[in-house]
Amino acid sequence: MDRRSFTVIIAAVVLRLAMFMAFPSLPDLLTNRVELSTPVTSFKRLQEGLFLYTHGLSPYDGGVFHQAPLLLAFFTTLPSNPIVVYLVYILSDVLSAYSLIQIATSGVSVSTPYHTSSRKSSAWPPWAVAAAFLFNPFSIATCIARPTIVFTNTVILTAIAKGVQGQGVAAVLALAMASYLSLYPVLLLPPMVLLAYDTLPAVKKKECSLGSFAAVLTSVFTFAAAGLGALSWGITGGSWEFLASTYGVHLLLPDLTPNVGLWWYFFIEMFDSFREFFLCVFQLHLAVYLAGLCLRLRKQPLFVITTLLGISSIFKSYPSIGDTALYLSLLSLYRHIFPLMRYTFFVTSTLLYATLLGPAFYHLWIYAGSGNANFFYAITLVWSLAVTVLVSDAIFAVLRDEWETERPEMKGKEIVQI
Amino acid sequence: MRLLSWPLVTQLLLAPLVVASARASEYNDYSENLLLKSLPGNSILASFRFVSNGTFDSHHSVFPRSLAQILQQSQTKELHLKFTLGRWDAEQWGRQVWDGRTAGGTGVELWAWVEAADDSEADARWTTLNNALSGLFCASLNFIDSTRTIRPVMSFQPAGHHSPERLERLHLLHGTLPREPVCTENLTPFLKLLPCKGKAGISSLLDGHRLFDAQWQSMSIDVMPVCEENGKCQLQMEQTVDMVLDVERSMGKKDSLVPKPPPIEQLSCDQDKPYAGGDSCFPLSGVTDLSWSLSEMFGRPIRGSCPLAVVPTEEATHVCVNIAEQRAIFVSQGSEERKKSPELRCFVLHGRGPNFVIENLDFDIVLPELSPSTNILLTPPPVYASRSLTGHGQERGGIQAVLNNPSSNSTVEFVYLESLPWFMKPYLHTLSVTVSGKDDGNVVQDIYYRPALDRKRGTQLEVRLRVPPGETVLLNYEFDKAVLRYTEYPPDANRGFDIAPAIISILDPTSQKSTFSIRTTSLLLSLPTPDFSMPYNVIILTSTVMALAFGSIFNILVRRFVGADEVIGGGLVSKIRGHIIAFVTERRRAGGNKPKTE
Repeated sequence: MDRRSFTVIIAAVVLRLAMFMAFPSLPDLLTNRVELSTPVTSFKRLQEGLFLYTHGLSPYDGGVFHQAPLLLAFFTTLPSNPIVVYLVYILSDVLSAYSLIQIATSGVSVSTPYHTSSRKSSAWPPWAVAAAFLFNPFSIATCIARPTIVFTNTVILTAIAKGVQGQGVAAVLALAMASYLSLYPVLLLPPMVLLAYDTLPAVKKKECSLGSFAAVLTSVFTFAAAGLGALSWGITGGSWEFLASTYGVHLLLPDLTPNVGLWWYFFIEMFDSFREFFLCVFQLHLAVYLAGLCLRLRKQPLFVITTLLGISSIFKSYPSIGDTALYLSLLSLYRHIFPLMRYTFFVTSTLLYATLLGPAFYHLWIYAGSGNANFFYAITLVWSLAVTVLVSDAIFAVLRDEWETERPEMKGKEIVQI
Repeated sequence: MRLLSWPLVTQLLLAPLVVASARASEYNDYSENLLLKSLPGNSILASFRFVSNGTFDSHHSVFPRSLAQILQQSQTKELHLKFTLGRWDAEQWGRQVWDGRTAGGTGVELWAWVEAADDSEADARWTTLNNALSGLFCASLNFIDSTRTIRPVMSFQPAGHHSPERLERLHLLHGTLPREPVCTENLTPFLKLLPCKGKAGISSLLDGHRLFDAQWQSMSIDVMPVCEENGKCQLQMEQTVDMVLDVERSMGKKDSLVPKPPPIEQLSCDQDKPYAGGDSCFPLSGVTDLSWSLSEMFGRPIRGSCPLAVVPTEEATHVCVNIAEQRAIFVSQGSEERKKSPELRCFVLHGRGPNFVIENLDFDIVLPELSPSTNILLTPPPVYASRSLTGHGQERGGIQAVLNNPSSNSTVEFVYLESLPWFMKPYLHTLSVTVSGKDDGNVVQDIYYRPALDRKRGTQLEVRLRVPPGETVLLNYEFDKAVLRYTEYPPDANRGFDIAPAIISILDPTSQKSTFSIRTTSLLLSLPTPDFSMPYNVIILTSTVMALAFGSIFNILVRRFVGADEVIGGGLVSKIRGHIIAFVTERRRAGGNKPKTE
């Protein structure tokens, strides 16, 4: 880690500490924001779970706490001082930034064994990537609101960092942890296997085919996930209740608290007889991109991971700003393809529009009573649309970049798709 | 038919009933009494109490067969059912009659001890009981489902006599319907359970128009087994109707049923106010004790005595009036006065005229006006309790209960019970109990908490507290409001959702059994509402965004890139343009010749 990256991290830590200290009511204010805290990540619900757990009640035998049991075990070992909690969240962000620096240093985003971008030189240096994550207002707000998505993001970034360093086993172990914490990272397993395989030295690749490599990593993943499940079983006193109360909630959406995603209002308004059908459709919709992206972007598995995170930040059951912050930070590794994107102005302005109007419309609906639920719903639609356009535009830019590597003479010319 | 005089017919018809009433006295089957108590502010508490004893198998019992069959079918050993409206103003009216046992929370409250081998069997029997009672009392008791049922741990103890073996098999279930509008359709079946069906005796005073016009009213049914020392057990049903009537309002109905403001000359104004005189008036209340009579308050006098009611002994009487000593009281004939204390005057209705002929005379009590007003000494309740919602907005809120011990020397211990619906999600870690503004660890003795499960069960919170003399305890906690599916909202979704009253059971310091109970008022909780007209629009718009994502991403993934100038064929427009250009060039080349036909 160079001196600049170090400075960036120090500055980010100081900024976060200052935010925590200078505005003592800010953490609780942000914790109560629906954009930042969802029923499956909220810090207030975590506190309730901890309270019940330390008083000998099962937090999973209730409708409030839907987070993983290991978080309970982890937070009970912490002293109950709020500053310690702030430091844990800041540390988590620092680890995320460190992983991003490792990923950026490895250069996988610009050159893989099958593809080297012709725009390699315009990629951002590691410290800039870390800064793009650490000083992103979405990341800062997420850190201060203290949802547990912060830990999931850290573990996902660690998994990617291990993946680009060719430590496949470590990568899938971290991914198993991320999936254990919030289920949807399980979708990242195939691109993670490809990423780890691509970074293997050529000698090892000869010894071990992709099929057997994938089989090994998948079984490691399965065993790790099962191990975490068993550990949780032990933590919760020999009960499988937590499965229904954590992953069941991700899958079946019993809690319809508003968030930035598309699910909540859809399932408030859904006719009862079609509820199960549409739950299946929405869950499958998330998985449907996996095969297509892995095949078409086989040369750049890191970008597949980035895109999948972007898609799940729109379409998962309880998305929050923290998911989008993770996607944006990974996208900053692809600075070199930004010139190829067509709708950057549209996306930026739409994201800003939704960011500013979202809290205002939520206030109109919930507090002022002068608007109704459609106001906030409309803003979540705009937000989702903006991220969707960003994701597809980034795919377009990366594919064009690949194509231009094959045909350098077409650089800067108008193209069409057939 | 005109040969027989009316009193004679009544006499003939009632002759067998007199025999029955004689037999009834032997078995102590049925008794009824009415207590009228004057409350400050020209209010009258009227408390009717009817006690019937009987067994399941007897065909001649006064215990209603319809209810007995329900209890037998659902294996219910003890039952308490309350229909209540209004708020008991403890600050003004003091402690409730019958130690608060007969008063329920706003709406309908039902709790029962059901005999069952396990919880699921108890639940099934509880459902049977609710459905049957729902039909019997024309109330929505069938809506007491698992989300509205709790199993209190500390608040209730069985009042009847149960053998120890049976006690182990009894399950206590408790359900509330705070939204239920209690009305005449509940009173009619209630009166039908009485042996005299509201036709004679004190129950003839009960009229829906007057009962539901009261400031506070509660109808209650308590059924429990009662055993004598020789081991003979029978079922006892205690039915009570308590109401607080505003004398001024009730007497106003004498002239017209439509309430009208009194003319200005009849108003008693506070002359001490600076704006007094002329057309301004600050009304004074409680200056004089207004005159009232039973027939004016209830719209009719007591129509004779119920022949089945036990002939009252020295202790047991039919009607008691608890008023200040100075107040005069006039009663109609056909009764006998027994003064129990200067403030408690009781009457036995024997329905006999001057010649000792049973005529079933109407009985009326008249109290003349008295100025200045008199008050009887009221004892304060063991605890003053009030509960309110805090916070604003439809996202989250808090509950604050204020519990005050008025006693100057004794500590009071009680259980505070909350039964919350599942869509109110309390955070127990935010629960704070403060005495005079500071935390005191000795106040909370015990907490029992059962969190809610979405759409399956509600929250149950029982807190045992000890409040030192003269202290006020504040109990606070925060909660989140859930957003419901649009089909789960009632038709008037923006009115809000009723939250059942909290139940405060005062415990006896030695036996730890509940000796007195108090209910707070119910609360109205407003939840965020979706737009109910939007289902199709939301499905269409959300699906559009998803289709856009799917379409644009797969469109980019599956198609190849080519340079714009390398396109062969292309789209329809470019094809047409190509044809036109080809056509024009062809013409030019032909140099004005006839176009070729191909």
